[in-house]
Amino acid sequence: MSKIQEVKEKVEIGKTKLVPGLVQEALDEGNAPGEILQAMVESMSVVGEKFSSGEIFVPEMLIAAKAMSKGVDVLRPLMAGDTSASLGTCIIGTVAGDLHDIGKNLVSMMIESAGFTMVDLGVDVPAEKFVEAVKENENVTLVACSGLLTTTMPALKEAVQTIKASGLDVKVIVGGAPVTPEYAAEIGADGFAPDAGSAAVKAKELVA
Amino acid sequence: MLTKRQNLMETIKGGNPDRFVKQYEAFAMMMKTPITRAKPPIGGEIVNEWGVTTRWPEGQLGAFPVHDDEHIVVKDITKWKDTVKAPNVKHPEEDWATAIAEANAIDRNEQYVTAFVAPGIFENVHYLMSMEEALMAFYEEPEAMHELIDYLVEYELKLAKEFIDHIHPDAIFHHDDWGSQINSFMSPDMFEEFFVPAYKKIYGYYKENGVELVIHHSDSYGANLVPAMIEMGIDIWQGVMTTNNVPELIKKYGGQITFMGDIDSGVIDFPEWTQENIAEKVETACRRCGKLYFIPGASQGLNVSSFPGVYEATDEEIDKMTKEMF
Repeated sequence: MSKIQEVKEKVEIGKTKLVPGLVQEALDEGNAPGEILQAMVESMSVVGEKFSSGEIFVPEMLIAAKAMSKGVDVLRPLMAGDTSASLGTCIIGTVAGDLHDIGKNLVSMMIESAGFTMVDLGVDVPAEKFVEAVKENENVTLVACSGLLTTTMPALKEAVQTIKASGLDVKVIVGGAPVTPEYAAEIGADGFAPDAGSAAVKAKELVA
Repeated sequence: MLTKRQNLMETIKGGNPDRFVKQYEAFAMMMKTPITRAKPPIGGEIVNEWGVTTRWPEGQLGAFPVHDDEHIVVKDITKWKDTVKAPNVKHPEEDWATAIAEANAIDRNEQYVTAFVAPGIFENVHYLMSMEEALMAFYEEPEAMHELIDYLVEYELKLAKEFIDHIHPDAIFHHDDWGSQINSFMSPDMFEEFFVPAYKKIYGYYKENGVELVIHHSDSYGANLVPAMIEMGIDIWQGVMTTNNVPELIKKYGGQITFMGDIDSGVIDFPEWTQENIAEKVETACRRCGKLYFIPGASQGLNVSSFPGVYEATDEEIDKMTKEMF
């Protein structure tokens, strides 16, 4: 089995302690950093699909993302300045009045694993703060807004509409327990995802 | 007419209830004991019994543990013994006076004197170390996680003894959220390894000591965990959300466990709630789930609603469905 294939397999099953060494071995064999990164992105795409279909659960997704992150740490010094594999920057946050962060964190990890640079604004984020973050960060292609409560759905709507009204050229994806595809469309979001695995797929689609 | 307690028993045993059990009506919840969980007031912050800082910001529906670097209790699971200290459960007898008086005032033929426990074992684990770290540690440091869970179980057994010695509860209402609305947080296998033995000990202890009924709250998806719930000794799963396909669960497991909920709080309990909307959701639940092994009610984990009037309005609609279906 090639080293790249081994990296792929070990990321998928979340071998956090093995992946950095395997990434180094793959580099030593002469594989390009970008190629190794792409292999790990593909692993996480499989992980996302398995999570969305209920085949795996949150712990398996988390350790896979952690394994990839440890692999990326090995590649990072070699890829400084190389943006060819990046899908741009994604601003993420839970909307104003809502303090739920677990779902948002999972989505953030999966979108990052798909090849985005993440800027996490945290929870209880006012609509204007999303806009400011788009302006302040480089190459922002996507904004992801999370809302977990029926009571904060108006804040989700305000966030989406404020971002859209700013005229900035970014796509907006929304999600959270009470959000439906119909509601997402109604408030003007470009995309909706029901879970973290699907969010990564949708995020890639939106910026393609 | 059956008493509330008799009617609940008929419902969960597959007998002849004479009406729907109306949400929590059969449970007299004992909330004023000296060992009931500490909870911040709305707008406030406390450090709870375990040293976890919890905040309830204005405008939120509940309290949240604070998990920044400064506040997190377990920073390294392999060193949990350095920072986790079980709360004292021994209190002077006079601290129990209110709870004992309340328990004595309950007609036990009418209602179950019900002890309340929250947070549960899984919740306590992620309160102490954050959800993400806890879930990863089940893979990365399983021995330490087993040790921590054993320690929490020992504490819960001491807690149980205090409840039993002082108020002789007929029922225990125990919180522990095990999932999101779309899936359980962990696989049934992982759940079986870490949590089934823990809860078999806890719920087994209550039952060995005169507690008739175990009601477990998890307002989540959890259909894949029902066999484990039965194995643990749960009699009623409260908080079962509509995403579980409750009618199918009743068909499959009725007789072994009863399902309480099938009305998601989020879709009835909001500032602009209406009686018509509640009526529709209650009717749907009652008609599709039927009269046995089912208790209609909001998924909320206590006999309250987030917005005034919703709990009572739900009761009214259940009464209407009783008139139509019984």
